[in-house]
Amino acid sequence: MSSHGSVADVVPAARVRPARRGLRVRLRSRSAIGIFMCLPLIGLIGGLVVYPFFYSIYLSMLNKRETAFVGLANFHYLLSQDTFWMVLRFSFIFTFLAVLWKAILGFTLALVIHTLPTRGQRIWRGLSLIPWVMPLALSSLGWWWIYEPTHSALNWILVLVGVSPKPWLSDPYWAKFSVILVNIWYGTPFFMITYLAGLKSIPQELFESAAIDGAGPAQRLRFIMLPMLKNIIAITMLFSTIVTLATFDIVRVLTRGGPRQSTHLFGTYAFELGIATGDVPLGAAVSLFMFPILAVSAFFILRGIRESTA
Amino acid sequence: MTVQTRRNFLRATAAGAAAASVVGFPQVARAQTKLTFGLWDHWVPGANDVLKGIVMEWGKSNRVDIGIDFITSIGNKLDLTAAAEYRAGSGHDIITLGTWNPTLYKDKLEPVSDVADTLIKQYGKFQENATYLNFQDGRWVTLPAPIGSHTYPLETRMDYWKQHAGIDVQALFPPDVKKRDKKKIEAWDWKMFLAGAKKVHAAGFPIGCSIAENTDSNDWLGPLFASHGVFPIDEKGNITIESDATLQVIEYLKELTKYMPKDIYGWDDASNNRWLISGKGSAIFNPPSAWTVAKRDQPAVAAQVWHHDAPRGPKARFRGALPFSWGIWKWSKNKQAAKDLLLYLSTKDVQWKLITASQGYDYPALPAFFTHPIWAEIEPPRGGQYNYPVRGDEKLIVAGWPAKQEYGVQIYYKWLLPTMVGKVTSGGTAPKEAVKWAAKELEGYKSR
Amino acid sequence: MSRTKRSRRNVTLLVCYGLIALFMIFFLFPPYWMAITSFKTNQEIEGLKGIPFFIQEGATLRHYRDLFAKTDFLIYFQNSVMVTIPVVLLSMVISVLAAYSLSRLGFAGAGVIGTAVFLVYLVPDSLLFIPLFKIVGWLGLLNSKWVLVLVYPAAIVPFCTWLLIGYFASIPKELDEAALVDGANHSQMLLRIFLPVAVPGLIAATIFAFTVSWSGFLIPLAFLFSSDQQVLTTGTVTSLIKGDVYHWGGLMAGALLACLPPVLLYVFLMDYYISGLTAGSTKG
Repeated sequence: MSSHGSVADVVPAARVRPARRGLRVRLRSRSAIGIFMCLPLIGLIGGLVVYPFFYSIYLSMLNKRETAFVGLANFHYLLSQDTFWMVLRFSFIFTFLAVLWKAILGFTLALVIHTLPTRGQRIWRGLSLIPWVMPLALSSLGWWWIYEPTHSALNWILVLVGVSPKPWLSDPYWAKFSVILVNIWYGTPFFMITYLAGLKSIPQELFESAAIDGAGPAQRLRFIMLPMLKNIIAITMLFSTIVTLATFDIVRVLTRGGPRQSTHLFGTYAFELGIATGDVPLGAAVSLFMFPILAVSAFFILRGIRESTA
Repeated sequence: MTVQTRRNFLRATAAGAAAASVVGFPQVARAQTKLTFGLWDHWVPGANDVLKGIVMEWGKSNRVDIGIDFITSIGNKLDLTAAAEYRAGSGHDIITLGTWNPTLYKDKLEPVSDVADTLIKQYGKFQENATYLNFQDGRWVTLPAPIGSHTYPLETRMDYWKQHAGIDVQALFPPDVKKRDKKKIEAWDWKMFLAGAKKVHAAGFPIGCSIAENTDSNDWLGPLFASHGVFPIDEKGNITIESDATLQVIEYLKELTKYMPKDIYGWDDASNNRWLISGKGSAIFNPPSAWTVAKRDQPAVAAQVWHHDAPRGPKARFRGALPFSWGIWKWSKNKQAAKDLLLYLSTKDVQWKLITASQGYDYPALPAFFTHPIWAEIEPPRGGQYNYPVRGDEKLIVAGWPAKQEYGVQIYYKWLLPTMVGKVTSGGTAPKEAVKWAAKELEGYKSR
Repeated sequence: MSRTKRSRRNVTLLVCYGLIALFMIFFLFPPYWMAITSFKTNQEIEGLKGIPFFIQEGATLRHYRDLFAKTDFLIYFQNSVMVTIPVVLLSMVISVLAAYSLSRLGFAGAGVIGTAVFLVYLVPDSLLFIPLFKIVGWLGLLNSKWVLVLVYPAAIVPFCTWLLIGYFASIPKELDEAALVDGANHSQMLLRIFLPVAVPGLIAATIFAFTVSWSGFLIPLAFLFSSDQQVLTTGTVTSLIKGDVYHWGGLMAGALLACLPPVLLYVFLMDYYISGLTAGSTKG
């Protein structure tokens, strides 16, 4: 494939400077280098994610003792169990409510900070990110102490203002509220920072011409900000859906899935089945249930990204 | 100790012979055996160090190089470790296993029947409870571990109960088994407990018994149901939860939970401890851990804590227990050394030191060791822990017994009893509905 | 600005600061509570009297002292650092190489790999850790902190690669060609042209890598048993909660100290991080 009469024919390839080589040779070595550069990534992910993932699928199709192949029996079994339906329902509710509120609160705060004079924004930006930066397992412990029935600071405040203390972790309704609240606390900063960056990227001229046209703040929001940020809002929410569905630390630390399995998510339920009762195939089956949902979300994200960069 | 000395002698000779047959550097010729031991991380301060000292000394005198890891049971860490080593096929030689783990991992555990039989011959039978969890399929898959095992008597504020409920638990359960009044203790049943609970609640110091997804809940509900003759699955494998006795107990609990804080449905394993230590709680089902912390931080509370028997049911008297086990993985390269170490640690002399180091928390698997003086002597109040080892007619039970262990582990760790009860007492479900739900769950467990 | 405009602006600012105050209370109450608890005596923590928001019975440094003297806290800290630095370096190197090759060196299968990288990001820890026991055991890394150096990058690299592809893709192709004409090979192009332009993205990716590695909990919990191998998150929790006894003062002290490095790092690099997020994508 070397070009005719070039120095490459005579001089050994290794000693020839790249510029002297023909274009097609150059392309081929580009491919080789490309693949070579990707190898660490491929190796890492292949060995530590792809292989275990397929092994999980295999495990989910074995019986409890892992001595026989039972196909989809474990999935059938799960669908016949009330507890699993509870897990399914709460996983959806948790993810939906948490993502929705993170988006709303994140956007509100971003808007508020954006409205402040530029110099004053930095500190609030900074302080707002603290929940996200703290290791979640440890901040969940802090929250647990806040909810702890005998010593709850929250209940102390409530009693002070004349409201009855709430069973934050011992009543199914309140327990669900509590774990969702912690997820919102943890994730809102990230939404905020993304939306803030997005708001800053909207050209000022748009606002100026809108002001000239007599548009008020609500109209500016509806007709300029939201449309301009449509893509980023959608992408953030979809990404967050993926991560929120996989929540583990918060529920594990605060309620361990209780009371009465009402706050179990896929991850925590799989963990309990696999480790505490030693039923790893069933645990794997529970985890895998997440997949169709994540794959659908992924499809929409990818499509959304392609459209927004087009 | 004769057994151990003999074994020591044999091993020393063998090692000596091996050394003599090798020409070369003396260190290499000694052929040091290596053992790694995964021990439960004891929460009693100092207990770990005493145990480590004893183990390392044994290692030195038997020429075994021992590595020790203390593994906590928090966050299911101990369970995770067992699961990890089981799947990885590598890890410690000896591993401490939590209550149901021998059942889960028995196919890769080296039988220790020889060690168990030696101990039985010398000290008498292990408790039935420990046997149920460690002896499966005709062999001892693990050895009952004296460290970490504990039971759930009542830890009662004797001053509150005396003053407000008119029940003097100190007099009822004296620190001397000979002074027990059998008739009065016979009268200490769940009805009397309920009556007392009502009164202390009215005085502002309720009892607190967890009904949630934690071991504490199983460890008092299991005995309560058992004392009425209710066992979710019997030893033949029949689902026997749907019965009048079950409904009777649920009705009882509907009443009892009126006199407990509403938070019990979200408690974790330490919540009842905190309840007692705060000074507000008047009785919990717990091992002496709450008392030990109170001794350090709230001594006025600790001085009033008395440990004693559980109430009697119409059929029998049961007390909850959580035994730990020691297992040797099949891939261990030094099984004999491991067995020797476990045997050594279970002998009376060593046990005496360990029980002292744990301040009485570690519950011996061999009743022969109940004669240790610590429970009678540790104070304040003096004699308060005397009844921590079972002195009366209580039978120890793990919720799930007597079902086949594969079902038992599910009954326990899928929180069948607390969930069933919680549905009624907190969720407002009709008792018959809840029991029907439990039966359906049990059918699901059996199908796994 | 006219009077009405100014007063309207003032009202707006008032409302904004009011909302900010609410948000700050929400965000900062838990760390504040943790800090207060870490300075209270055990008696005060476990007792039930009085106002819990201020220290009534005298602040104490006991928990912090005990943390360093009686637990292996320093070892955990050391381990976290010893793990995080290689993890971040390794992740960055792999991500940069992969991002460069996927965005520039078009080769057959690049699109597939790109999509696969993204999909891998969807697989959660809780699904993987049990199969990983076998692999990790086979590699002999069970109970060694180096297992984290192996496993964390697998969680970090997909996102970072994806982030960096976004940056690299925005660099105009003309720059490439100019460089090639000048005789630069790929490593020079990467180092001299791409990386300097993508600095915000690199910083964002580094901070992400650092945060994942520093905060990881399930993976170290599953794979590390010995106290001397524990990292901060798991070590703090497992050594300060014993049996059914929780040392709240120590726990809160340990948790706070463990949160300091990411907070400090982030404060230091904050501006870069934020600008690094305008290009690329999001997580939360």
